[in-house]
Amino acid sequence: MSLTDLLRTALRSVSANKLRAALTMLGVVIGVASVIAMLALGNGARAAVDATFQSLGANQIQIGQRFEMQDGEFQPMGEKLTFEEGLDIAATIALVERVEMSVAKTLKARYGQNSIEINAIGTTADAFEGIVSGGEIQPVGWTGGDALTAEDFLADGRFFSTDEVFASAPVCILGYQTALDLFSGDNPIGETIWIDRKRCTVVGVATKLESTDIQERYQSDPNEALLMPISTMIQLLYEEDPSVYMVAHVTDANRIDEAKEQITAYLREKHQIEQDAEGNYQDDFDMTTRNDILGQQQEAAQTFSLLLAAMATVSLVVGGIGIMNVMLVSVTERTREIGVRLAVGAKQRDIVSQFLLEAVFISVGGGLAGIVIGILTIPFAAALNQGVALLLPSSIPLAFGVAVLVGIMFGLYPALRASQLDPIEALRYE
Amino acid sequence: MLLAPSPAARAGRRKQHVSMSNPVIRTEKITRTYSMGETIVAALREADLTVHAGEFIALMGPSGSGKSTLLNVIGLLDRATSGEYWLEGKPVASLRRDELSDLRGRRIGFIFQNFNLLPRLSAWENVALPLAYRNGQFGPQAQLNQARAVLSRVNLDHRLEHHPTELSGGERQRLAIARALVTEPAVILADEPTGNLDSNTGAEIMHLLKELNQEGSTIVMVTHDMNVARYASRTYTIRDGLLTEGDRHVTH
Repeated sequence: MSLTDLLRTALRSVSANKLRAALTMLGVVIGVASVIAMLALGNGARAAVDATFQSLGANQIQIGQRFEMQDGEFQPMGEKLTFEEGLDIAATIALVERVEMSVAKTLKARYGQNSIEINAIGTTADAFEGIVSGGEIQPVGWTGGDALTAEDFLADGRFFSTDEVFASAPVCILGYQTALDLFSGDNPIGETIWIDRKRCTVVGVATKLESTDIQERYQSDPNEALLMPISTMIQLLYEEDPSVYMVAHVTDANRIDEAKEQITAYLREKHQIEQDAEGNYQDDFDMTTRNDILGQQQEAAQTFSLLLAAMATVSLVVGGIGIMNVMLVSVTERTREIGVRLAVGAKQRDIVSQFLLEAVFISVGGGLAGIVIGILTIPFAAALNQGVALLLPSSIPLAFGVAVLVGIMFGLYPALRASQLDPIEALRYE
Repeated sequence: MLLAPSPAARAGRRKQHVSMSNPVIRTEKITRTYSMGETIVAALREADLTVHAGEFIALMGPSGSGKSTLLNVIGLLDRATSGEYWLEGKPVASLRRDELSDLRGRRIGFIFQNFNLLPRLSAWENVALPLAYRNGQFGPQAQLNQARAVLSRVNLDHRLEHHPTELSGGERQRLAIARALVTEPAVILADEPTGNLDSNTGAEIMHLLKELNQEGSTIVMVTHDMNVARYASRTYTIRDGLLTEGDRHVTH
């Protein structure tokens, strides 16, 4: 039988039982939709990691004290990371170009009659460069264009210098809102404010800033901050030394793992962390690189993807069995028709093609509906996966191929059975 | 009404005389047995049948006599358990299943008691069905043209797009006859063609078959009805699987 004749025959039989065909398609619809959603999640995770690349440079290692769950609370482990250790790492490890450090604490600031709570951040001088180049916050109203410089982040005055950091100079920079709240519009530059009863001279005021990530804007407001040298903050404002958060910049991004090992060795020696009986180290610090974040992101997406893959597999198998079942019923119902076709010259392959094509029609119908539904569910999948899901264009032909394959796999047995019917018995069938 | 053979029928006989040397169907000692559990039942015993081109043969016999079995074997729907069968001089015993299908589609036209039309196909599509299985030899337009020609031969050209369920019994059987004719087969095999029709319609169908025979078609018809068998030029009788020529002693 020619392809046109076969297609016409298959289309006619499927459309003769529209409801049955539609119900049979359901499994394939769900399966194919799951495939689309699954691949969208994987694709979204990749896109999210690409975005993460921008904020954490390829040559950066985040170092922080390790926290572990104890008695239902996250507790810091072992020894704190200190300012001196950060300086040491920068000075002794050749691969490390510099180490940005910071500490943060909520404190009371007072000027005259005005007293407010502020988010005090102690940093190194180059941390400001890090903030500028990090791209996580930007001046309000900045619409892109020229690259941002440190000046763009300052409304007035200057930032503190590395010398001031080493000298623990009592200087500070006010966030936009902090300056407004303390000085009610007066010029704060050169004035002395009180932070927890310690004096501090205002040398700069930041411009109004916002997070580049719209979703982050409500979480912490950079305008309510106060920046001062990390050494000053540790000396004046902590009763006991805080644990310092570090970002080590490595000279060569390709040797980042090497740098990580050297920092680890330094910190283990410094914190006197010995190998235990099983040869493991109980480190009290955590190091994170871009590759680690990539791994975490993929892991997060993988759990959900696996779930969807399982769902897709189950639905496709169930859908396929549904198709097989309906095709077996159809073969039985049309035994006489098969007999007539055999009598007028149909060969076995004609009968196989006819019923196989019918099964493929059903599964492809389900596949097309599944592709549409899958695309429509991507926003919901994203909502379940931290907003990360993006249609992978190549998943559409893939899903279509899967649907065709299911039709062939599960339609083959009924089709072969139809083709092996005995012509006389088929013609006699009531 | 056909007590005296018409001139055309006589012409048919002359023609059949010419082709004596090469019969359309020749069987030699064809036996067909079925095993029913422990016992073996012979539906057909050493049947010798020869049909020449242009003949109109009636196979008579009561139900269960083996006449349908013989028709199925000569129609290549069934295989003989033993014996020889030549269709147009060609031995068919050793042909494979698909080769038999091909031969059926080209050289044999079937007419069934219950018409066996496909309800989802229109009249012309039913007629064109054997052509559709000719490996794409007939495109859609060629199929329609051929179907239209034979439908007009059976006076159904006004019913091209009708479906079988929209046709009367007589029209359905004429449609089935058109389907049997469309491939210009070597032989038309009719299994109780009037069995599902009232006597008037049955007579109309028999007239049509007789006309086709007079136009040159070779027909082998199974029936248990003497009145129907009268249209045939030669009669075989089958009883308990034994085939004999003639109808003198048929009782029913």
